[in-house]
Amino acid sequence: MPWTVKHAIDALARDGAAAALGGYVGLILALAAANGAARLGSRFAILGAGQRVEADLRDRLYAALQTFPPEFFARHSTGDLMTRASSDVSAVRSLVGFGAVSLVSTALAFGGALAAMLAVDPWLTLCAMAPMPILVLLARRFNVSLNERTQAMQEQLGTLSGRVQETLAGMAAIRAYTMEHRAAATFAAANRTLLERSVAVAAIQARFTPLMSLIAGVGVLVVIWVGGRDVASGRITLGDLVAFNGYLGYLAWPTVALGLTLSVVRRGLTSMERIQEIVTAARPAPGDAAPLGGPPSLAFERLTWGYPARGQALRDVTFAVAPGEMVAVVGPTGAGKSTLGLLLARLWEPPAGTVFVGGRDVTSLPLAPLRATVGWVPQEAFLFSRSIADNITLGRAGLDVVAAAQAANVAAEVSGFPDGYATVVGERGLTVSGGQRQRLALARALAGRPPILVLDDVFASVDAATEEAIVRALRDHRLTTLVMTHRLRVAQAADRVVVLDEGRLVEHGDHATLLAAGGLYARLWRRQQLEEEIARA
Amino acid sequence: MPERAALDHDDVLGRAFDRRLARRLWAAARAQRPMLYATVALFPAIALAELAQPYLLKVAIDDHILAGDWLGLSLTAAAYAATLGILYALRSLEAYLMALVGQRVTHDLREALFGHLLRLEAAYYDRNPVGRLMTRVLNDVEAVSEAFTSGLLAIAADVITLVGVVAIMLWMDWRLALVTFAIVPVLAAVAAYFRLRARDAYREARRRLAALNAFLQESLQGVTVIQLFARERHEHAIFRRLNDDYRRALFTSTVFEASLYSSVEALGAVALALLIWYGGGQIGAGALSFGALVAFIQYTNRFFLPIRDLGAKYTVMQAAMASAERIFGLLDRPPAIVSPATALAGGGALTSVNGGGALAIAGRSPAATTDGAAIANVDRPSRAAASQIEFAGVWFAYDGDAYVLRDCSFAVAAGEHVALVGPTGEGKSTCARLLVRAYDVTRGRVLVDGVDVREWDLVRLRRRVGTVFQDTVLFTGTVADNVALGADPDAAALRRALEAARARDFVEALPSGLDEPLGERGANLSHGQRQLLAIARALVYNPAILVLDEATSSVDPESEWRIREAMHRLLAGRTSITIAHRLSSVQHADRILVLHQGRVHEEGTHAALLRRGGLYARLWQLAMSRDAAG
Repeated sequence: MPWTVKHAIDALARDGAAAALGGYVGLILALAAANGAARLGSRFAILGAGQRVEADLRDRLYAALQTFPPEFFARHSTGDLMTRASSDVSAVRSLVGFGAVSLVSTALAFGGALAAMLAVDPWLTLCAMAPMPILVLLARRFNVSLNERTQAMQEQLGTLSGRVQETLAGMAAIRAYTMEHRAAATFAAANRTLLERSVAVAAIQARFTPLMSLIAGVGVLVVIWVGGRDVASGRITLGDLVAFNGYLGYLAWPTVALGLTLSVVRRGLTSMERIQEIVTAARPAPGDAAPLGGPPSLAFERLTWGYPARGQALRDVTFAVAPGEMVAVVGPTGAGKSTLGLLLARLWEPPAGTVFVGGRDVTSLPLAPLRATVGWVPQEAFLFSRSIADNITLGRAGLDVVAAAQAANVAAEVSGFPDGYATVVGERGLTVSGGQRQRLALARALAGRPPILVLDDVFASVDAATEEAIVRALRDHRLTTLVMTHRLRVAQAADRVVVLDEGRLVEHGDHATLLAAGGLYARLWRRQQLEEEIARA
Repeated sequence: MPERAALDHDDVLGRAFDRRLARRLWAAARAQRPMLYATVALFPAIALAELAQPYLLKVAIDDHILAGDWLGLSLTAAAYAATLGILYALRSLEAYLMALVGQRVTHDLREALFGHLLRLEAAYYDRNPVGRLMTRVLNDVEAVSEAFTSGLLAIAADVITLVGVVAIMLWMDWRLALVTFAIVPVLAAVAAYFRLRARDAYREARRRLAALNAFLQESLQGVTVIQLFARERHEHAIFRRLNDDYRRALFTSTVFEASLYSSVEALGAVALALLIWYGGGQIGAGALSFGALVAFIQYTNRFFLPIRDLGAKYTVMQAAMASAERIFGLLDRPPAIVSPATALAGGGALTSVNGGGALAIAGRSPAATTDGAAIANVDRPSRAAASQIEFAGVWFAYDGDAYVLRDCSFAVAAGEHVALVGPTGEGKSTCARLLVRAYDVTRGRVLVDGVDVREWDLVRLRRRVGTVFQDTVLFTGTVADNVALGADPDAAALRRALEAARARDFVEALPSGLDEPLGERGANLSHGQRQLLAIARALVYNPAILVLDEATSSVDPESEWRIREAMHRLLAGRTSITIAHRLSSVQHADRILVLHQGRVHEEGTHAALLRRGGLYARLWQLAMSRDAAG
């Protein structure tokens, strides 16, 4: 287009009022239309691609997050992961979308304009381009420090999100212990650090971004000063000079935008690293699967295991649960009862050759059939903000929801809810009590008809009458059941009892045998008896 | 421009400018005003330096280049160089100041919001999910600060530049200027059309992003469940659908936005063609110089850029106003539960946690915004004398008229140990919550030491009552931090509390003992261990009234026995309420209250209640019958 303008101006200079400008005007309009269409097309293509990359990245991040064990979630707060899935993913979108548009148009502008400028006058081009090497050097230096500061800022934002999330989720405790001051002080410190780090990023950007337009301006200056003399001396025409200026104008915006582009690219790359960190650590996700064939038995053989950086949670534990048997695991707090369940479901990885389901080493089994076989109900029941029915089925087809709810003794309460099984629970729905939550979680496990049931102290919030009914119903099912419990009455109802203390299996046998043995179990039992007798008196 | 991620459902974009909100925003930025003024003061200087450049170009062409005046050209070039240097300095300063204003506004608003959230009552948290509140503190605040930097300040800078361009164009050649301006109505119409369409599409995209993020957050919280049931593919399919919905909506908004940019660029070319056509004629007629035409072409570019970007700024302002509306909506929501104006001091300094600070926050210094929370930091008194408690005809419903407590009345004497028992969901925990005014009664009165809790100073009241919950919340920090909770007890006092709660052994077995860091989810401590820490926490807190809400439900009977033994001494001289399902853990209570259908159904000692043969006796028999059935 500057080329057309150049010819128009030269024509004017040559022919004065007689110049035929109509052709040039038409040409400018035609070029503008073509340029507009091309730009529109390329923007749709590139921005659309950016959005596809974003969607794909978020999808892969989600898939990766699903595969991590509890250890991972202990290291990464929900706030941190949410930041990666929202801010970081859209930063990459900006990199691929806006960043790519800018980089491509910068490259095209430099390539195209440079060729056109060389065609006009190589010497003038050399003069106009003289500031460029400085620009490249500055850009490199800028990149490095901006990268560091941006990363520091983003990390701090993650920390701040973590603080906010933790405080808001723990408000009941904060209120009860009048900790508002401490929470506010912790937040204020994190908030101030974030301010400092954001301003540090801004300080670099403030020095760099205008530098770009300064250098572009110096190019124009050189053209006027050097090129002006050439026009005066007649070496080039005024049209050449104007066109040259026009081409430099094309370079000016991409050059100025280079700062913004670089920061978008930098931020995008930083974010990409943070996302990759998660995605590359992903494990293969298990698919749907039927329970394993074979006898529904469980066995632990010389199992010794500890959480990383902690002492050993289990030491040399050996016992088995035969098909159809109900075994209770009892023992003091921290004895390692819950750990057994976590290892059975392979939420933590046991050593090979120590944990067996149906006679097969769990570490050699694919996750999906293993988890379909072992119905593990954890202490803390989690419900999704969905309907009761969806919470029980979790999308599994062909389940008898009502039967499961009946077995878990929650069916009567559910039919009392406003919409029955369609009632939505959770943050935006009905609030259910702790006991109802635990029984719904139990129903969820029972619905899949797992051959083996592992109950990790799931009746803590359930009253005696309800617990009684549930246990009776479970015994009727004749499932292979491992039940971790503090309540010795449940242990008494089991076929056999395993007593753990400080990670060791200290006693093993049925209720009567253990009582006769006079060990820890007998002591615990006598204490409970004693209390009851005192109470009866 | 990078879009903000929203974690929100209730995302409604309204007007880009709202006088009432603007006034509040202006007030919120009070502390930053000197810097705002300084920034605005830079704008005319920047516009001047910027607009001088095409004019110097004109002078260079007309007066020097065409005249062959090398010296004059050098002088003009020197002037051009000087404007470049000045422009660089001014722009740097401008960029830094704008960022500083934006970041400080973000910082102050965050602090104000967080401080206000700390004052809001439990019922508010029941209705507003954590994710939504986080969006207020993290995202909305950033959107608002952009109203200052990318919105208002940028618009002010553009307006000043536009006025300058218009003036200089009219001054140089008013006819040529009018020719250029002829494009403006078309430009405005095109920009308005695409802008409206882009806005609607953008709104839809944000709604879908909110749904997507809400789903993601819940997936993270429930990831173990998904894994256990091998539902990864099912959940992933739902996520993929939400993700794709969002991408489509976002692309639609991109289409309109890109169309806006492209059509404005095309109109710029039309203006250029007009200039050459008309200006060329003028040059031919000798009415216009070459330099003036060249300068005009450059001015036209500077004239179009701000108009093109107006759409983007409009979107920023719209998002900012919507965010501001939500932020002020939250700040204006007064805490429903506050200390009365003349609170019962309870024997100490009078404190107040009224929400007034939050309303005034709009524009207070960051230091001032924390006042509200800071006053909660009253000294922990030494053991207060035992308190008495009375529930007098209490009615309470969390929602509507679904009453949990119906005309519930009972009293606990000073130093008495009372147990609340009853079937699940009969309002036992509710009593504990009403006692500390986490909620206010619907009807009736709750009295502590003969004074209605609504007349107590909140901090005093809550200092008097220590609650141990069933679910133990652990905060980021060490074991010691989590037990001390901001108080400053010496290590010996901490150890005594841990010893009494039977938590000392496992704490000392941790690699760093008391200094062991605990994560968001209390990494690797068992449920029972966390409960022991919570009990130690309550002992350090040293309240006159101790409420144990299922506090030992996950502790094994042996530990519980030992805790009770230790607590027996610690409870001496204190009033206590124990809430439990496990009847065995409450039989030592001085008195047992059986809650049923929202009121006290029976009360008495364990033995008396058994003799009475009522509900309690039946519950007890049931517990015993399991023994017989085994």
